[in-house]
Amino acid sequence: MNLRRDHVAGGAFVLAGVVVGILSFDLPFGTLASPGAGMLPMLLIGYLTVFGAVLFVRANESPPLASIDWSDFRHALPVVAVAAVAVTAYTRLGFLITIPLMLFFLTFVVERRPLLPAAAFSIGVSAISYTLFGLLLKIPLPRGILGF
Amino acid sequence: MEIFDNLLLGFSVAFRPDVLIYAFLGCLVGTLVGMLPGIGPLAGISILLPVTFGLDATKAIVMLAGIYYGSQYGGSTTSILMRIPGEAASVMTCIDGYAMARKGRAGAALAIAAVGSFVAGTFGVIMLTLVAPPLANFALRFGPPEYTALLVLGLVFLAYMSTTSLARTLIMACVGLLLGCIGIDVMSGHFRYAFDIKELGDGIGLVPVAVGLFGLGEILSTPSKTVVGKVVPPRFAELMPSRQEWRQSVMPVARGSVLGFVVGIVPGSAHIIASFLSYAVEKRVSKTPEEFGKGAVAGVAGPESANNAASTGAFVPMLALGLPTGPVTAVLMAALLIHGVPPGPQLVTEHPQVFWGFIASMYVGNLMLLALNLPLVGLFVRVLQIPYAYLYPLIIMFCIVGVYLVNNSIVDVWIMLIMGLVGYALRKFHFDPAPLVLGLVIAPTFELSLRQSLVMSSGNWTIFFTRPIAGVLFAICGVLLALSALSWLRQKDWRERLAETETGKK
Repeated sequence: MNLRRDHVAGGAFVLAGVVVGILSFDLPFGTLASPGAGMLPMLLIGYLTVFGAVLFVRANESPPLASIDWSDFRHALPVVAVAAVAVTAYTRLGFLITIPLMLFFLTFVVERRPLLPAAAFSIGVSAISYTLFGLLLKIPLPRGILGF
Repeated sequence: MEIFDNLLLGFSVAFRPDVLIYAFLGCLVGTLVGMLPGIGPLAGISILLPVTFGLDATKAIVMLAGIYYGSQYGGSTTSILMRIPGEAASVMTCIDGYAMARKGRAGAALAIAAVGSFVAGTFGVIMLTLVAPPLANFALRFGPPEYTALLVLGLVFLAYMSTTSLARTLIMACVGLLLGCIGIDVMSGHFRYAFDIKELGDGIGLVPVAVGLFGLGEILSTPSKTVVGKVVPPRFAELMPSRQEWRQSVMPVARGSVLGFVVGIVPGSAHIIASFLSYAVEKRVSKTPEEFGKGAVAGVAGPESANNAASTGAFVPMLALGLPTGPVTAVLMAALLIHGVPPGPQLVTEHPQVFWGFIASMYVGNLMLLALNLPLVGLFVRVLQIPYAYLYPLIIMFCIVGVYLVNNSIVDVWIMLIMGLVGYALRKFHFDPAPLVLGLVIAPTFELSLRQSLVMSSGNWTIFFTRPIAGVLFAICGVLLALSALSWLRQKDWRERLAETETGKK
């Protein structure tokens, strides 16, 4: 079988419907006169599975899976990785350490911009943001274990 | 005469210096958001939503709405000068706007886009003033079954009008509604899908989902090397269009305004559809259709007017019925809810200052945008020259800081990050994430009204068809679904026919 885009998409949503359905077994469905917490989720899971199956059945009308352009993934992956590290560090190290480091990594390491402009951009933007949010708008930014 | 008294009340609110400042800020940020690639109005509004928490409801909604309609103006600048649509509704402006710029008529194209947007925006607000209050009055007759029917109709309409297929849109809506089921069930107190994460007790917030899907998701699918900052700078001596260009733009602006407003009321990606439809209509009625694609004035004036009128039209169901017609109005609705002001029929009577102040601020906002977009175009051109490699890290910073601020919760930031990846994957598989956001927003109201309807009818589901208003709404759903099925059987739907008209195959 020539695998097409909607074979994967439709199959994924049918699978998602089955998994969420299993997770919903403990929710009470209730009766029509007294609907329980599980009624709407069960209805939605049913619809999700049916529409996923429709997509799967009609998949021959969609382009081949191989035609999806993943060339931007090489850019997306490091961006997500840097953002994930920043999110992990955000409440531990605080705004003033995490944000300049994240900006520097994205501009210098991921985007390969020259060292000095990247450093100046990261420190400058972080300082302006801290002044604007933390000092002027009095928005509580995370301080981290170092206390700032 | 009551309407004039109400408008006077609105203007007394809108002309307050503090409200004016927030309207101006919204318009300015909106213009920038519309211009910059990689950040659309939805991401802009979502990221700035936490900033409005310290404001009252009127200032918050005035500023956020300013971002929305400001972005429609701003989108035209990048389309005309760079051939890059700052946001999806500006795609059609790229074609003839950029062609005009290459002929040395960039200034004229910008002026026509700005004036057309102003006329259409103002027409939209006048219609909103006239239509919304009586509609809200009518909606006071709605009970739970009618609301259930209305929300189902909103989703079916969205699916029918969507730029992707019916099944794809309904899948996204189901996922959004399912996400909206996470947390404590308000009627029984059951914990649903919380997995012992206490932060999920109140459910998944709209901000992390919207920022992730539209802000981060867009960045992940936009590698910096693909964003080329080549700008055709306008010649300021030629900023004013010639008399002939003005003449050529009058009717397209008028048609675009009416068409845009009508399409805007309908749920779906209204402002995008409106600009595509307007381009097709202008090409069809033009005596020189061969000029389209080579710098036709009508190809700029029509779509630009239509997308602005549509963005105003979208406020009618949101304000009068409490029904979001798209993800942007869904976020704006959430903003009002956060400030304790539920949109819907009671908004006009219970919060007249917010309702009329908001409407009056749109008259003022449209004037501000006209003043902003022409004289400051040189400044905006400089902003466009900021390399994207520096711009997107800044946006990621705002995403993290903004989402964390909503609840001071790092779980929300993780949700945003996951949603960013989901948004990236959805784009790859040709899904539009907008119905997901809409589903998430309407989920609590939908579930409550559905269950209340069944309880009040003792489990008799025919209540949805025996009550006249609900019955009519469900009948419209049936017609739309039948039309979709018919299109499927004929293997060609209205989107394909429209595409054929645009490309001149028909």
